[in-house]
Amino acid sequence: MDVPDKTITVEEAYDDLLRRSLSKISGDLARLIYLASTRDYNTGKYHHDGLAAHFHADIACQALEMAHRQVFYRIAARSLQELVAEVELYINSSRQSREEVLQVWQKLEPYRVALPVDVNAAVAQLFVSNIRLALAILRRRLQQEAVETPTSWQQRSPAR
Amino acid sequence: MMESSSLIAGTALLLLILLVATLRLLASRSLQEPPLARGEEDITEPCPDEFVSRIFSRDDWEFVRGIKCGSIERLFSRERKRVALAWVRQTSAMIRRVMRGHAEAARQSRNLEVSVELSILTQYVALMAVCAILSLAIQVAGPLWLGGLAQFAQRLSLRVAKAQESLQARSLAEAARPGTA
Repeated sequence: MDVPDKTITVEEAYDDLLRRSLSKISGDLARLIYLASTRDYNTGKYHHDGLAAHFHADIACQALEMAHRQVFYRIAARSLQELVAEVELYINSSRQSREEVLQVWQKLEPYRVALPVDVNAAVAQLFVSNIRLALAILRRRLQQEAVETPTSWQQRSPAR
Repeated sequence: MMESSSLIAGTALLLLILLVATLRLLASRSLQEPPLARGEEDITEPCPDEFVSRIFSRDDWEFVRGIKCGSIERLFSRERKRVALAWVRQTSAMIRRVMRGHAEAARQSRNLEVSVELSILTQYVALMAVCAILSLAIQVAGPLWLGGLAQFAQRLSLRVAKAQESLQARSLAEAARPGTA
């Protein structure tokens, strides 16, 4: 009896995941959060209905885990400037106000839950630290915009 | 002539003893506090090179400086210092773990090469000294000036880990050979 090559199948499931789901999400931070959301909090296992239907649930789990780690290492290697742009893209795509999202993210640090299991501890710390900095930078920009907007409005308004 | 050479040798010996004592003191003060965070102690693989460069890179600092905000600059210094210290602790913990494994493998090995063992030991001592210096320097001056030393520690830790791997492979081969218990 032929035993299916598990590595090839995981690769296939991974490609399928990239093609059908991840390519439709804009930005690596959004992809990271999406992939983390497919992981069960209690078991640490990943689950994706569509992928599990095409492949075996176990294969789908491994493909999701692989994608999660790859996206994580890719985003963690970004410069702070690139990461600020990445966080900005994510926040702008959210339906809530930018200020509200920034405030909640700074307070609750929900991005900590987006870390894959067993990644290098120093890399994980670098990622968390850079996100914290990116949020502070975006908050500062938002405050500057708020200060500048009434000024520019005053400048635009006709003199009495 | 004789007196001056003994004086030089004595001074050199004293300096060496002082250096070792200082390094030990620094290592015990800076590497044990704060305690290892979750995941740092059971690390078996070194941090990938690109992340070491990123932690000690000045590019992010230049970007932050361009923002012209004192509180963000202070936050950056604090955060980067914390990450750099975590990397030093992780490297140091990993190499101690590798050396424990090496000592175990060396005890079981039947044909140890003294020169190889000495080389590994020298590299280990040098690495621990570099980690202690890095740890102190990061706390005093921050990590942005220490990229070269961090890369050196990274290369050294990879070399020690590789030497240990080859010794372990050799001991396993010896153990698998017929006629060996």
